Amino acid sequence: MKDTGIFYSFRSVKTGQQVKKILKLLGSDNVTAVDIDVATGEDFMKFTNYVLAVPTWFDGELPTYWDEFLPSIEDESLKGKNFAIFGGGDQKGYPENFVDGIGLMAEFLEERGGKIVGFTSTDGYTFEGSKAKRGDQFVGLALDIENQAALSNERIDAWVKSLTKEFA
Amino acid sequence: MSDIPKIHSIKKTDKDTLLKWYRLLFLGRTLDEKAPNYLKQAIGWSYHAPAAGHDGIQLAIGQVFDRSKDHLFPYYRDLVTNVSAGLTAEEIIYNGISKDADVAGGGRHMSNHFAKPEWNIHNVSSCTGNHTLHAVGVARAIKTYDSKGVAISSQGESSVSEGYVYEAINGASKEQLPVIFVFQDNGYGISVPKKDQTANRKVAHNFEGFKHLRIMYCNGKDVFDSMNTMLEASKWAEENQKPVIVHANCVRIHSHSNSDRHELYRDDNELGYVKEYDPLAKYKRLLIRYNRATEEELSAIEAEVADEVKVAHRKGMAAPHPTPESAMDYVIPEPYVSTKYPDGTHNHEGESLKLIQGLNETLKAEFRNNPDTYLWGQDIANKDKGGIFNVSKGMQQEFGKKRVFNAPIAEDFIMGTANGMVRFNKNIRVVVEGAEFADYFWPAMEQFVETTHEYWRTKGQFSPNITVRLASGGYIGGGLYHSQNIEAALTTFPGVRVVYPSFADDAAGLLRTSMRSEGMTVFMEPKALYNAPKAATPIPEDFEVPFGKARIRREGSDLSIFTYGNTTHMCLEAAEKLEKEGFGNVEVVDLRSLLPLDNETILASVKKTSRALVVHEDKVFAGFGGEVASLINSEGFEYLDAPVRRVGSTFTPVGFNRTLEAAILPNTDKIFEAAKDLLSY
Repeated sequence: MKDTGIFYSFRSVKTGQQVKKILKLLGSDNVTAVDIDVATGEDFMKFTNYVLAVPTWFDGELPTYWDEFLPSIEDESLKGKNFAIFGGGDQKGYPENFVDGIGLMAEFLEERGGKIVGFTSTDGYTFEGSKAKRGDQFVGLALDIENQAALSNERIDAWVKSLTKEFA
Repeated sequence: MSDIPKIHSIKKTDKDTLLKWYRLLFLGRTLDEKAPNYLKQAIGWSYHAPAAGHDGIQLAIGQVFDRSKDHLFPYYRDLVTNVSAGLTAEEIIYNGISKDADVAGGGRHMSNHFAKPEWNIHNVSSCTGNHTLHAVGVARAIKTYDSKGVAISSQGESSVSEGYVYEAINGASKEQLPVIFVFQDNGYGISVPKKDQTANRKVAHNFEGFKHLRIMYCNGKDVFDSMNTMLEASKWAEENQKPVIVHANCVRIHSHSNSDRHELYRDDNELGYVKEYDPLAKYKRLLIRYNRATEEELSAIEAEVADEVKVAHRKGMAAPHPTPESAMDYVIPEPYVSTKYPDGTHNHEGESLKLIQGLNETLKAEFRNNPDTYLWGQDIANKDKGGIFNVSKGMQQEFGKKRVFNAPIAEDFIMGTANGMVRFNKNIRVVVEGAEFADYFWPAMEQFVETTHEYWRTKGQFSPNITVRLASGGYIGGGLYHSQNIEAALTTFPGVRVVYPSFADDAAGLLRTSMRSEGMTVFMEPKALYNAPKAATPIPEDFEVPFGKARIRREGSDLSIFTYGNTTHMCLEAAEKLEKEGFGNVEVVDLRSLLPLDNETILASVKKTSRALVVHEDKVFAGFGGEVASLINSEGFEYLDAPVRRVGSTFTPVGFNRTLEAAILPNTDKIFEAAKDLLSY
C-alpha cells in the first residue's frame, strides 16, 4: 500500500475511536495520522491515499475544522490521489441530511480531480436524503453510533478490507 | 454542485472588506454580550434575544441591504443585521434602554426591536413573522412602480409555522414579487425543538412546490457562505422579479432570551457542540490561518470597538427618557380637513343616489384624483362583477388590474399587504375590502391590531394610509356569519378611526375623507342599506364629511336618540310615530363617526332634551353604546332627568331563521317602546 494519510480531528472523541479501529486494521506502520485542526495544505498534499474522517454536523454540514481547512487546498490539483471518506451521522435524528458531510467532501475532492474510493451499500440504513448517496451506494462509509452502534465494527472491517485493495 | 457563485471566500475577498466585517461582527457581539448587564443593573433592555450563533447570516443581510432601494424587515434577534446595515452602537443602546433618542420609535417599542424607518429598516411587531406580509406588500409596490430593490424579511425558523407566513409566501409566489424571506434556523422556538413545528427539519422544504420561488440553503454560521447566498438572492430576486427563500442554518449559543433558561432543556453536550461553531470565533481563526489579518490588527479593532461602545454607553445613560406627556403624541395622524364642508352637511338638491352609488362614484372619483390609489380584496373584480355587492363595479375596467385586483381568500394577507404597500410612498392610499363580510374580518385582526400600532410605535415615522371597507350588519337573513357588527371590538384600539354611515351622502363624504387622510380608517358599510330607497340622498359631487362630526337627522326637544348605521332609519321612523302619537318630540343624532366620537354634539343634545337613548344594531352588552352612555353619565349627568337607556340586539348570535333574526335584532317597534318608556320616566 502506497503512502497513506488518515486525517481527523485529534480532539474528536467518537471519531477518534473509529480512527483507532481503522488504523489497527490498516496497520499503523503504513499510515500517518494527521490532526486536521492544525494541518496545512502542504501536510495534506504529501500522500497518494487518504482516509478522511468527516462526521456530519447539524443539518448536513462539515465540521468547522474541515470547513476551515479546505481553502488550503482549494486551488490544488488532486489528480492521482485516492480518497476514502467515512463519518458519523444520525439517520433517525437527521434523516434528511444523513452523512451529508461525506457527500460534501467527496464533491469538493472530485471537483479537483481526486478519486473517491470505498463506496458502500446503502442497504441497512433508513433515511430520507443524503448528499453522500449515489444510486444505491454511499460515497464512503456511513457510521451511525446513535442508532446502529452494534453494526459499526462489522462495517468498518468490511470497508477497510475493500480499501486495502483500492489503495494498492 | 451549488449554483450560488462564490464571490467571497477567505482567500478572494479583499482585506479591507474582511476587516470591516470583523469590526461589524465584533461590534455586534460586544453589544450582544453587554445587553444583559443593563437588565442586571435594572437599567433596561429587559428583553434581549441574543444574536450569537446567527452572526454569519446577519452580517450578510445587513451588508446586502441597500437603503437607497431596498426595504428591510428585521426580527428581534437581528442585532448584528442592524449593526451590519449601519446602525451605530449608540442607536442600538438607545433602543435597548428605551431612550427618547431611539431611532426605531423613541423607546415606545420593546427593547431589541431595532429599526430605522428613515433608512427603510422597518419597525416590526413582536408577533413573530407578522412582517412577512409587510415585506410582500412593499415588494408589490416595488414591482408596481417599476422600482429597483428588493424587500428582505428576516425571521426565526419556528415562526414560519404561523399561517400568515404561508399567506405571505403564497402571495409573493402568485404575484412574482422581489422579496427575500430569510429563515434563521437555530433549531428552537424558545424551548420548542423544530421537530415540534413541522415535519421537515428544514422548514424551507415545505415550500418546494411553490411556483416562481427559488429556495437557497446556506450555512448561516459561515460569513462567506452567507454573503454569497444573500448576494445571489438579492440579485436573482431583483433581476427576475421573483421571491427567494434563504434558509440559513444557525446555532443558538445562548438562551432564547433573558427570561429563558436553556439549561432546563439542553444538555452540556449540545451546549458545547453549538459553542464549538461560534461564527465569530471561526471567522477570526480563518483570518489568522490564511494570513488575511494579524493578531495585532484584530486586537486593534477590538480595542476600537470597546472604546466606541464605552462612549455609546455613556451617551445612552445620559440621554433622556420619553416624557410622560409624550404618551399621547402620535396616536393617529391628523386627518384631511374639509374647508368646503366643515361640519359635514350640505344643501345640495338633485337626484337621490343610493348608498351603493355614492360609494362607487366616490371611489372612482378618488381614483381619478390620486393615481397612487389602489383597491383589493376578495371578489373585487372579474369582468362585470365588482365586489360581492358590486360596490367596486367598473373600477378594474377604468383603472386597470394594477390598481384594482382580486386577493386570495386570506384576510390577514389583504390587510397585511396593505400595511406593507403604503410604506413605499406617502402618497399611496390603499382601500381594501377587508373581508367579503365584516364577519370574516376576524382572521385579519392580527394585522389590524398591528396596523393600529404603527404610527404610535414609530413615533410618527410611519403612517399606514389605509381605508378598510367592511360590509356590515344584518337584516338580510344572513345568519351568524353574514350579520355581524364588529365595531365594538374595533373601537377598543387606539390608532384607527371607525365610521359607520347611514345615508348615501354621509357614506360618500366619509369615504372621500378617509381616502384623503393619513392613517387607517375602518369604513363600516350597512349592507342592508346599499340599495334601500330610504338611505338614498342627493350627494354633492365633492362632498366631504369630517371625522368626529355627528349629524342631527331630526331635531327634537324631549329625548335624544344616538344611533348609527341601519338603526338610524328605525329611530327616525320611531321618532315620527312618537310625535304623531303624542309621546314627545324626539331628536335623532346619527353619530356617523364612532372613533373619534363627537362628544360635543352628544352632550349638547342631552343638555337640550334631558333624556338619552342609545340605539345600535350590535349587542347591547359590551356594545359600542356603552361608551356613549358612559360619556353621557360622566359628562352630562347633571342634564339628565332619566337614566340613559340602550337598545340593541340580544346577547346571542344572529339566527338565520327570519323569526330568530327578528327576535334578536332591534327594530322600529323595540325602539318605539324603549323611547316611550323613557319619555314617561
